[in-house]
Amino acid sequence: MTRQVSRVAIVAAIVRKDVREFSRDTLYLVLSAVGLVMFVGLFYLVPDTVEESLTVGIQQTGMDELVSAYQAGAETDEALDVVPVDTAEHLRAAVAGDLEVYRTASGETVLVGPGAAAQAPEGSTTVTVDIGIAFPVDFVALTTAGQQPTVTVYTDADVPSEVQDAMTSVVREIAYTLSGRPLPVTEATVVLGTDRTGDQASMRDRLRPMLAFFVLMIETFALSSLIANEILNRTVTAVLLTPARVGDFLAAKTIYGTLLTGGQALLLLAAIGALTATSWGPLLVTVLLGALMFTGIGMITGSAGKDFIGTLFLTMLLVLPLLVPTFSVLFPGTAAGWVMAMPSYPVIDALDQVTSDGAGWSEIGPGLLGALVWVVVIYVAGVLVLKRKAETL
Amino acid sequence: MTLSRAWVVLRKDLALGPRSPIFLYAIVLPVALTAVFQLAFGSLFEPAPRLAVVDEGSSSITAALREMDGIDLTLLDDADALRAAVEANDHDGGLVLPPGFDESVRAGDRPPLDLFLSGESYAANRLILTVTTLDLVRAVDGGPPPVQVDLVRLGSAGLPIGLRLVPVIMMYALFIAGAFLPASSMVDEKTRGTLTAILVTPARVSEVLVAKAALGSLMAFLVSIMTLWLNSALGANWPQVLVVVALGAVFSSLLGLVIGSLAKDGAMLFTIVKSSGILLFGPVIFYLFPDWPQWIARLFPTFWMIDPIWRVAVLGEGLGQVWLTIAVAVGIGLALVPVIRVLSRRMLTQLASAS
Repeated sequence: MTRQVSRVAIVAAIVRKDVREFSRDTLYLVLSAVGLVMFVGLFYLVPDTVEESLTVGIQQTGMDELVSAYQAGAETDEALDVVPVDTAEHLRAAVAGDLEVYRTASGETVLVGPGAAAQAPEGSTTVTVDIGIAFPVDFVALTTAGQQPTVTVYTDADVPSEVQDAMTSVVREIAYTLSGRPLPVTEATVVLGTDRTGDQASMRDRLRPMLAFFVLMIETFALSSLIANEILNRTVTAVLLTPARVGDFLAAKTIYGTLLTGGQALLLLAAIGALTATSWGPLLVTVLLGALMFTGIGMITGSAGKDFIGTLFLTMLLVLPLLVPTFSVLFPGTAAGWVMAMPSYPVIDALDQVTSDGAGWSEIGPGLLGALVWVVVIYVAGVLVLKRKAETL
Repeated sequence: MTLSRAWVVLRKDLALGPRSPIFLYAIVLPVALTAVFQLAFGSLFEPAPRLAVVDEGSSSITAALREMDGIDLTLLDDADALRAAVEANDHDGGLVLPPGFDESVRAGDRPPLDLFLSGESYAANRLILTVTTLDLVRAVDGGPPPVQVDLVRLGSAGLPIGLRLVPVIMMYALFIAGAFLPASSMVDEKTRGTLTAILVTPARVSEVLVAKAALGSLMAFLVSIMTLWLNSALGANWPQVLVVVALGAVFSSLLGLVIGSLAKDGAMLFTIVKSSGILLFGPVIFYLFPDWPQWIARLFPTFWMIDPIWRVAVLGEGLGQVWLTIAVAVGIGLALVPVIRVLSRRMLTQLASAS
């Protein structure tokens, strides 16, 4: 007596078996959750602000308008954060770290330490002054009279040389202006591309696509190990003795692998606030493509590896190079041509564009098509390798 | 427990181990990480303003920029390519110097100076590139500047990023060779069934664990010394460095035993590594960012393993200065021993029920 069972039911039964095996292992389940919590914790630990201005202590007399004008005349007023300091000695001590510098809500500077205030005012914020300029009292008079006054630039030894040089140049340019010597060129400064001053992507923003990608990648190790175990323990053979066909087994592994890798990546993206009303669609498709790509790799390495170590090594060989494009997110500018040619690049690029720049379908569409081509190639290769292995057992 | 039987198991691992790709991985990884971190990631933590220049004449500005520290200079041939590269944020700024630019400046013609800035460049970098360029143009114009600038450097320079990256590389070396190698070896033996086979001989589980820990400690010690040497951090106080590295190697191998006893298969091993990875690697991030509150790093158990190595090998301190840190590391290590005992009993039960 035989009962007709649909293919869908068979595939569902195999997926249920895998999920049940996963959920029965409480430790595995708890550790998977802990892993996600750790990733989320790391995300919120990383700074979400970008310090893109130079904080400069300035001690001057009678130059308020000039300093303000120069600050406003800088490429943007975001570039210079001027901290007024009352005396040259205090400025030197502040740069040397002997005095602490605080800024009150009204913008007033308060120095705390020996020879200054005893404690910081309530509600004030600390300011790090690594470099400072001390103008002599008669600076304006001497410069306009054509004499050569001396200005002291105090700098912490850790301040990069280009910043030290730039502050020296700032002093000279102020003096040139005062002495009536105009620029010997007609300066034309053009900002190219979207001006992101004050709206730069923080390290936390850059981490979003990386974390999602890491989760996809790490689950590949787990998936390949699971498939290798099924082959070593001949569970595949046992499954194929039932009405299940090889195709059902492959479909079940695809579904389980995609759920295991993509599901956790989506959970992570939700936990770090990347899934919004506009982004969830593009992110869902991108994560699905990434999950299918890594499922294909998991199938290749899981079926080709003879034992745990062999599987591990093969997975590392295939997966670690795919990690390279994720670092392109950290560095500014265009990725190198060979990085853009890697299968994982379109996926990480789409994740980055959606989570960092709020890109939509039109922006990521062409890249996703490229990713789709890679996914088809890798997934088909994975299915063929696993099918061959399952049939030859 | 008989040490001679542990030695037999260790000898087997040492004889068969090099055939395993993990051995190769443990040795190659620190070399690869040293190259990658030192060459590529140094610029990530201390980025210099990037300026592209198209010099259609032979301007002294280009020559001066070449001599400057702290400006990442790229020379391009074409103004259109420069604009495209700056727009793509491949450079923070771009400067086009037409033919005869210097002569024109000296003649007082006030020639146009085209300075392009990337919309994605930081405001501070824009300021640095702008004022530096204008200062160089003033230098071309000639004449003494109307002001004398005295630069007073205070304090001593901090450690370069290359050295601050050493704990990151060291932690990888210790973890892969000291912890992951014995853990994966145990998991491999569990899945192949060879661990059960060993345990039906007179060998006890404690002897197997001692052998695995010895394997991890030995590999971690050798790979860590190689890593320190590669990063020029093996100084004159090398005997003291050997002591702290040996302690770190033993500590990491104990972690390896915990992971290896806990993981019943490969999937579990990776889940443990994934979930505990941040706990293991958390403290090394604080060496990269010395401005962060350093007390947080002390909350991570692995801080007490890596900090003596950092202070003795990199900062040149003596064992007398790090004894407290070593004592805490030894204390944590001793606390791990009963944990390993409990986990090994659990492992035995699992093996018995599986066979």
